Amino acid sequence: MKQNNDNKTNIDSDTNGILVVKNLTKHFDDNIVLDNISLTIEKGKTTVVIGPSGCGKTVLIKHLIVLLRPSSGEVYFKNRRIDNLSENELNKIRIHYGFLFQGGALFDSLSVAENILFPVRQHYKITDWEEVEEIIKTKLAMVGLDGFQNYYPANLSGGQQKRVALARAIALDPEVILYDEPTTGLDPIRADIINELILKLRRELGVTVVVVTHDMTSAYKIADRIIMLHNGKIIAGGDAEHIRNHPHPTVQQFINGQVSDDDLTILRMSGTISKAQFLPRDFEK
Amino acid sequence: MIGIVATKTISGLGNSGRFARFVWQTITASAWSCSKSRTYPLIWTQMLIIGVRSVPVILITGAFVGMTLAIQVYDQLRSMGLEERMGQLVGVSVVKELGPVLAAVMLAGRIGGALTAELGTMNVTEQIDAVRSMGTNPIRYLVAPRVLACLLLTPFLIIYADLMGIVGGYFISVVLKGINSQAYWSFSASAVELWDISIGIIKGFFFGSAIAVISCYNGFTCREGAHGVGQACTEAFVASFISILAINFALAVVFNAIYSTFWPLRSLVG
Repeated sequence: MKQNNDNKTNIDSDTNGILVVKNLTKHFDDNIVLDNISLTIEKGKTTVVIGPSGCGKTVLIKHLIVLLRPSSGEVYFKNRRIDNLSENELNKIRIHYGFLFQGGALFDSLSVAENILFPVRQHYKITDWEEVEEIIKTKLAMVGLDGFQNYYPANLSGGQQKRVALARAIALDPEVILYDEPTTGLDPIRADIINELILKLRRELGVTVVVVTHDMTSAYKIADRIIMLHNGKIIAGGDAEHIRNHPHPTVQQFINGQVSDDDLTILRMSGTISKAQFLPRDFEK
Repeated sequence: MIGIVATKTISGLGNSGRFARFVWQTITASAWSCSKSRTYPLIWTQMLIIGVRSVPVILITGAFVGMTLAIQVYDQLRSMGLEERMGQLVGVSVVKELGPVLAAVMLAGRIGGALTAELGTMNVTEQIDAVRSMGTNPIRYLVAPRVLACLLLTPFLIIYADLMGIVGGYFISVVLKGINSQAYWSFSASAVELWDISIGIIKGFFFGSAIAVISCYNGFTCREGAHGVGQACTEAFVASFISILAINFALAVVFNAIYSTFWPLRSLVG
């Protein structure tokens, strides 16, 4: 992914850009979440979008598959503009994507096998059930959960749910896989399992990967390119080394997990009783 | 003040527009679902959940409506020496008005609440977005089967409610009050015409589709969190309830006009 806000990287939709975003702005009522963002996602590469909570990472990734429509700006998939397509036309495009949602978003009422089968049943007429079982088995084996076909999401741990959701995301052999906070809520070991799976799937399937995360360990491990969002704008972009040494103070503060001086001042103030505040005895006669 | 009114008006128009678009999308999705045999299993499943599992509560509702009505009118008819016509009064009241409306209200509570809670939870846990991300129209997959199941089975449930209403009236009239059994049934049969039953069934189509569409819409548009889902369920029930009453009134006006045009007026006790 390349972005044109950073001086070192310019938008390059004509080369390897499988996904291109041009001048994307998104606001909800008066709240501007994304502010004139332009970037290119390179084919076959892993791009990681980092940034503090609420900075618009999830909103950005949902625009890449047009689950959200831009307030202004354009989104292109393989040089075709997709943000202005009808839902029916978009559905034909979306089968080229896999999307791993933050909470997995598995269907509670369906078993693991039925969840994985869901996109297949929606787009193909199934005639050979043995072949279908083999597909489910293969996809589950890829995420290390073969044998869990008849389990229901409620019977799985958080990490297992994400792995099943990942198996479902790759059920249609997508060209692009979008991950929304894939390691959030997992312990470090299970988070690393997800990181290894992201690397493995990219290697074995040759897909383009976009990951939204605030887990820097994960970002450094899987990213070919990292971009940072802050207040709806891209403030940095480059490989892991470039981000580590980026001069922008907000970038350094984020990647090192440091609280700002202003926030620290407020936190240190909290818990003290200011002189202007009334005490219970002030109301006693 | 003018600004607040203008904002509320614009917001109301926006909501109406979104609801109208949702209704149109549901109609087209339902038509599409009817034409694709692979969607039938989804409809059967919803028919089981919405229809079959509502039968007990509908039977109980119908029975109590009939029994309460019989208790209320017995003394008045007896004072005029007309107690043998209990079947006539209970039959007409239950089949034309009380059965369909109260059965629909009960369905709005049972089915409407469940549909809104289910779809609302799917919405806040991103399951609806997941359906879209896999290239599937969520209205076709989630809404159309539920609306079709409600549309097709509410009339049957209303017939059950009618039947149990008359049986409930029989229990009070014949078993408790000692009215002649044959008189109860014969007056019931003479009073309730095919027209009356048809009105109940037609009302069922309208009530069923209104409950399903309103409940699904509230589920699809519910705000995040437990509070959002709870609020959506409440709003869905209130909107369904008001819609049932409004549709009932509108259909009563239409059917009365049709009836008085084609058939002479019928006296209740004539």
